[in-house]
Order: sequence, then C-alpha cells, then structure tokens
Amino acid sequence: MSSTEVFVAITFYVTAAAMLFGAVGMVLNRDMIRSALLLILTLGGVAVMYVLLSADFLAIAQLLVYVGAIMVLMLFAIMLTPNQLDLPGGSAQAQRVSAALTSLAVGALSVGVMVSHPWVLRREPLNMETAEAIGTLLLTTYVLPFWIASVLLTVGLVGAIVIAREE
Amino acid sequence: MALAPIGLQHFLVLAAILFSIGMYGALSRTNAVGVLLSIELMLNAVNIMMVAFACYIETQQPLAGQMFAIFIMTVAAAEAAVGLAIVITVYRLRQTIQVDEIDLLKG
Repeated sequence: MSSTEVFVAITFYVTAAAMLFGAVGMVLNRDMIRSALLLILTLGGVAVMYVLLSADFLAIAQLLVYVGAIMVLMLFAIMLTPNQLDLPGGSAQAQRVSAALTSLAVGALSVGVMVSHPWVLRREPLNMETAEAIGTLLLTTYVLPFWIASVLLTVGLVGAIVIAREE
Repeated sequence: MALAPIGLQHFLVLAAILFSIGMYGALSRTNAVGVLLSIELMLNAVNIMMVAFACYIETQQPLAGQMFAIFIMTVAAAEAAVGLAIVITVYRLRQTIQVDEIDLLKG
C-alpha cells in the first residue's frame, strides 16, 4: 500500500470506530441529550466519509445542514419536552427484543449482499472537485427536482410554524 | 500491514451496520424524539451508500449518486422540522411524547 492508502485506511477505521461508538451509544442511552450529542459525533463522521469519497460539497453541506441545523432543532425539541425518558420494562422489553432481532436480520442480510455482490467498479475512483459540477447539474439536468425541493422546503417551513404555533 | 486498501465494500458494510443500528433505535425507542434521531441515522447511512456508489461504480453520470444524497438531505431537513413541530404540539396537548401513550386514534 502507498502512503496515501495507509493514510486513507487509518482515517477510515478511526472514523468508522467513532461513528459506530456514537451510533450504538445513541440508541442505547436513555438520556435524550446524551443521545443527541452522540449522534452529532456520528453525523460528523459521515462528513469525514464524504471527504474520503471525494464529495467535498456534500461534506460541507453535511456539517451545515445536519450538525449545524437539524441537530440544533433536535436539541431544542428535547429541551422543550422534559422528563421523557424511554419507558423501562414491561412491553418495552419485548419491543426491544423484537427490534434487536429485526435489525440484526436486516443488518446481516444487507452486509451479506454488499460483500458478495460482484460490483462493476470503475478503473479509477472518482477524484474531482464536485462543487462546480453539482451547481451546473442542479440548474440543468436536475432543475425540476431542485425546484420541487425548494417548494418542499418552503411548505415544510410554513407547515412547521403553523403546527407548532400556540393557538 | 496486510489490510486491503479501502474500497467500495468498506463503505457499504459500514453504512449497512449504521442502518441496522438506526433501525434498532427507531423500533425500540419509546420517546418520539429518539425515534426521529434514529431515522436521521438511517437516512445518513443510505446517503453514505449513495456517495460510495457515485465514487466507485462505473456509470455514465458520475455525480448522480451525490445528487441523490443532496435531495435526501433536503427532504430530511423538511421532515425533521415538521416532525419536531408535531412532537412539540403533542407534548403541549398531552404532556407526553412516549409513542406508546399517544393512542388517540385507538378506538
């Protein structure tokens, strides 16, 4: 392996370990604030993965949209709904067992497919600056989805205000 | 080190594991905000897969996967805003956001 490959491998494994730690901690922690803070660790790791996959624009967008906006929203919602720990015991216990079985089955199946499928790879992995190309694509090939997405965001924003407003 | 260089399958396996962890959270949480957090994790796992395919798979349009990820991110932002507004309204009306206790529609 060349020195770049070693660097990429170290970055990948360290980030992946941090992401898995954050994700497992997020689903197991009963304290919602800690859950949200651990999820921020995982979402930041996703941005690092985007950098490794030469998606520079998406990495910045990930930090701005998820870590910057959505998680702040989540923390606000958690602080506005105090004393709401997960219910312990009883039916929640049976629910946890069946949830674990279902997600284990889905995880094992999808990992098996991912590893065994003969993917048709390109000769060289994508290696370009994507921001300019994405900007061009958004206003040419993908102009209709772009337009619909902006309408969706406007409707979502107005809808959220209408729903959460005090009567 | 005898490790293989990082390739497509490393990212896919990581994303699949993250997806199933998020799925466990979405199914086992009883707090509505916790369910929303887990769904965000699942969406991010899918996004990693999209971008990994865009980076490694032979295709006519190399950036199509990244465009998918951008639109998923947009829809996730709208979903989080509306979902949290609903959660806050439910809390104001019922003083609980445990999904087991929100059963107004149960006859």
